[in-house]
Amino acid sequence: MSWLMGQSVINGLLIGGVYALIAVGLTIIFGVMKIVNFAQGEFLMVGMYATWLLFSAIGGSPYLLIIPVAFIMFIFGWLVYKILVNPVVGKGDTSYILLTIGLSFFLQNAAQLIWTADYHTVETSLKGQALQLGGLSILVPRLIAFAVAIILVAIVHLFLKKTDIGRAMRATAENSEVSSMLGINPITTYAIAFAIGTVLAGIAGTLLTPMFYVFPRVGALFTTTAFVVVVLGGLGNITGALLGGLLIGLVEAFTGSFIALDLAPVGTFIVFLLVLLLKPEGLFGGGARKA
Amino acid sequence: MRNINILLKNKLLSIGALILLVFPLFIESRYIIHATMMVFIFASMAVAWNIIGGYGAQISWGHASFFAIGAYASFLMFLKLNVSPLISIFLGMVLSVILAIIVGYPSFRLRGVYFSLATIAFAEIVKLLLLYFQEFTGGANGLMLPFKGQNPLNLQFNSVVPYYYISFLLMGIIIFLTWKLENSRLGYFLKAIKEDEDAAESLGIKAYQVKLIAFIISAAMMAAIGTIYAFNIAYIDPVGVAHLDLSIKIGAIAIVGGVGTLWGPVIGAFIIVPLTEITNALLGSTRGGASTALYGLVLMVVIIFQPKGVIEFFNGKRKKTKNNSVKASI
Repeated sequence: MSWLMGQSVINGLLIGGVYALIAVGLTIIFGVMKIVNFAQGEFLMVGMYATWLLFSAIGGSPYLLIIPVAFIMFIFGWLVYKILVNPVVGKGDTSYILLTIGLSFFLQNAAQLIWTADYHTVETSLKGQALQLGGLSILVPRLIAFAVAIILVAIVHLFLKKTDIGRAMRATAENSEVSSMLGINPITTYAIAFAIGTVLAGIAGTLLTPMFYVFPRVGALFTTTAFVVVVLGGLGNITGALLGGLLIGLVEAFTGSFIALDLAPVGTFIVFLLVLLLKPEGLFGGGARKA
Repeated sequence: MRNINILLKNKLLSIGALILLVFPLFIESRYIIHATMMVFIFASMAVAWNIIGGYGAQISWGHASFFAIGAYASFLMFLKLNVSPLISIFLGMVLSVILAIIVGYPSFRLRGVYFSLATIAFAEIVKLLLLYFQEFTGGANGLMLPFKGQNPLNLQFNSVVPYYYISFLLMGIIIFLTWKLENSRLGYFLKAIKEDEDAAESLGIKAYQVKLIAFIISAAMMAAIGTIYAFNIAYIDPVGVAHLDLSIKIGAIAIVGGVGTLWGPVIGAFIIVPLTEITNALLGSTRGGASTALYGLVLMVVIIFQPKGVIEFFNGKRKKTKNNSVKASI
């Protein structure tokens, strides 16, 4: 029993780190633009396909592909913002929801059209390896994903606090009208925020490729969980998203271990409905506005 | 009686209805009749979705779940207890109402995107539970309905034509109810909330209550459609009826046609459903994804260029012709 507990804690925290990374991407976009990107999971899927394609072309370690994938995702996110999202800025929540879900649906099915629904894998020598820790095992790819995710979240945090662009983003998040009077171009800031959110989803995709199959619908596995995490952490709150990600990882691992593996996400969603009911501003305060 | 008069006064409507009524008498092809019936089913679903998604401006991505609940409830009642779908249709509706309250109550007290997020989470739960309780729901294999001979009480017929008329009637009822709702207190409240929620609340409208009622009505309609659809197809599985994809398709149809209008979702269904049939026929099913990618693409294009939907072109044209006729008479 205690072994199962310990293993659940490890598994939960490790996958929770990846959830946190996806959620931080989502929450940055929300924080600055006040929109929830329903296509975040599909951006992750695009990142996974980019990793798989680059890996098939060049080979090497998939972890080294983080940088080119990040670059590709930045351009991708920038273009998506300029072409699709910018035209509906200021037209209200409904337009964003519909636009991004339309985008997610399109990307998912376009991927299926181009690469079929087949499952692809990215092989690394690290794949099956595990560290032993007093009877508990830690899978190496999960550990790497966790570590990289946490480092990236820290970098994003510093970026927002210490750099000019980061400050501009926070200013726009606070009040876009006043900040634009001070010479901050809100459109560029939105585009940067959107692109950064896209990059984080893409990198999460790269980190997941050694553990998950690459297929068109893979994003759906993560989108809903990421929504739960951002609401749990308080929409727009980065530290909240990190803690929320770890927490949801644990909830999922424990539901999976002690109730049923197939029902693991159900635990997550019930937590979500409870949070909406009891503490809609998120467990850690921050973004959400109450009616 | 007054309602019927209004119906008769609208020429376009009565001609359209008449054509659709006699349509199966002249068409031999089972496929075309079935495809037209699917247009009715999707139109019904889009009209129901529109009650909360359009009039209420609260985007639900969980409507397929209510559809699935209607389908599964009536299937299971029929398979296990031999209850007629004409009775169990109400069971599905009651279940949907209860679940709509569970999802709607916490999320409507908040504004913004929370409702959409909650419906997605809800949809996932329903799908996972349907997959998990295999002995009961058949899991991923789904449930098959054995044909027990023609019997209108069991909604089983030898030919596809009765279902054509049942679906047509269902669409008619749902459009009629929605029209009544649009012109009721609830409809006006919804309109007021959509315009300005703060102003509406300051006039004493309880916004979350109004939205919740609209959601409940919409969910109950979806369950009823689910029952009718399931008995026609005689096979259901979680991916087919409870998937997020279906909810997105329903929403896309309503939005493309014209969100928040009575006839927009119907127009949307009559445009998009045949369009996907044609794409499927042209590209074949060897490469899945083309016809569904179309939904996403059309949805984005409409949102960016014509958020009021295709119906706006009709309205614009009608206004123009009116102006012209006035000028001509002068």
